[in-house]
Amino acid sequence: MRPVVVAGVGSTRFGRHDGVPAVALAAQAAEQAIAEAGVERHEIGALYLGNFVSGFLTGQEVLAGLVGEALGLANVPCTKVEGACASGGIAFRHAWLAVASGLCDTALAVGVEKMTHAPTPEVTAALNCAMDNQTDGPSGLTFPGLFGMVWRVHAARYGTTREHVSAVVMKNKRNGLRNPLAQMGAALTAEQIEESPLIADPLRLYDCCPTSDGAAAVVVAAADRRVGSAAPIRVLASVQTRGSARVAGHPDLSTFDATVEAARRAYEMAGITPAEVDFAELHDCFSIAEIVDSQDLGLVPRGKGHLWAAEGRTAVEGDIPINPSGGLLAKGHPVGATGLGQIYEAVLQLRGQHPNQVRDAAIGLTHNLGGAGVACTVTILGRPDA
Amino acid sequence: MPETTRSSVRLGLLRCGACGALDPGPCERCPACRASRLERVEADGTGTLVSWTVIRRPPARLKGEEPYAVAVVQLDEGVLLTGRLEPAEAEPRACGDRVACVRLLADSVPVFEVVRRA
Repeated sequence: MRPVVVAGVGSTRFGRHDGVPAVALAAQAAEQAIAEAGVERHEIGALYLGNFVSGFLTGQEVLAGLVGEALGLANVPCTKVEGACASGGIAFRHAWLAVASGLCDTALAVGVEKMTHAPTPEVTAALNCAMDNQTDGPSGLTFPGLFGMVWRVHAARYGTTREHVSAVVMKNKRNGLRNPLAQMGAALTAEQIEESPLIADPLRLYDCCPTSDGAAAVVVAAADRRVGSAAPIRVLASVQTRGSARVAGHPDLSTFDATVEAARRAYEMAGITPAEVDFAELHDCFSIAEIVDSQDLGLVPRGKGHLWAAEGRTAVEGDIPINPSGGLLAKGHPVGATGLGQIYEAVLQLRGQHPNQVRDAAIGLTHNLGGAGVACTVTILGRPDA
Repeated sequence: MPETTRSSVRLGLLRCGACGALDPGPCERCPACRASRLERVEADGTGTLVSWTVIRRPPARLKGEEPYAVAVVQLDEGVLLTGRLEPAEAEPRACGDRVACVRLLADSVPVFEVVRRA
């Protein structure tokens, strides 16, 4: 494998984009990434597109080909990848793989989702396609429900309280206030969170990421290739793992083994320890997920995720800043775009240009988790001098 | 939804004819040893509450049935199952409570009740 860099990134705002089709959102983000990378579009050797529910919610598939055509790419492979909420991270990994393997010198990863036009029960039904619908779906379980159960197991084992979990919500919503791409940054009080309606006990409305439209894109290139004026960001590791799709495959609901294994392999590939990570953008689809993920990634000791959040150690100025972008909770979760949106945020941090800049950020980690932990990607990025 | 009401319901599981591992199924091969000879066996329908939640925003097909409780139960045979917990809202409950299956929803989804607090 040869060294690969992120040469350019682009993103739409996450939130409502009434009347804008998924293809147009994807093209908008991709045009920005291509321009920033300073590559000619005929030089792009492959397109990987992350999307989850376009067929279900908009009746439109073959998005990869449509986006390739909208961008005026050459006759190159345009491939949609799907791994539920990890679709964007998987698209990035495939683009990285295409360049790292020498198959092409430049590749484009785009993630997109269009969801806000659909009523909530339809969105819930669409997202439920990420569940094992032979074993878990028939019970009426939903993803908020799964993470409500994760919370109870974490609480029974480690003493996690409403106050601990609210600290994650307040931090991420606050971080989102300064991010121009974020859907719903907010200055929330603990009372406002506790008074918001229950969604799947003990999860309340503010514990859940919003329904979003949006797109994000990344151009990756061989490290020795000429790139645009933006500082090239090194891809130190790109890993994808599989876990069980069914709840019965998770004997311990306070951890996702797909995350644990992806992190282990990523640290090995990058040749670093978790302590060398300066910040992380991780998959906080629900507040409790950030606590679980921070432990699974080895950024926080096991059983201490809720305590570190409550003590402010995961804030932008903390020991290990987590989701300085606002995360899925505040920035939004246009499912197929999320993993690439995380990489977008990490790249801005490593260029020193983030609205919530982490001081001296040299190494950043992104974590994207799909379904009931069925698919996971972990990416480690480094500043040119890292 | 059609319901089968019984005082004590036995639940169908799959047992591997080669290594004896139990699985809630459906599966074509044993997840533990990959053997293809799986036989249907019956479990007692009693177990321990691993976790639960109350669904208040259901998917489209269950609109109007909320609130309902979903639980993960570890059967005494060791197998994990996802099912319903009744009644939907009855606090306090705790992980570790003893539960028993009281009926099947739609002939397939086990419905549990707490029979003894942890």
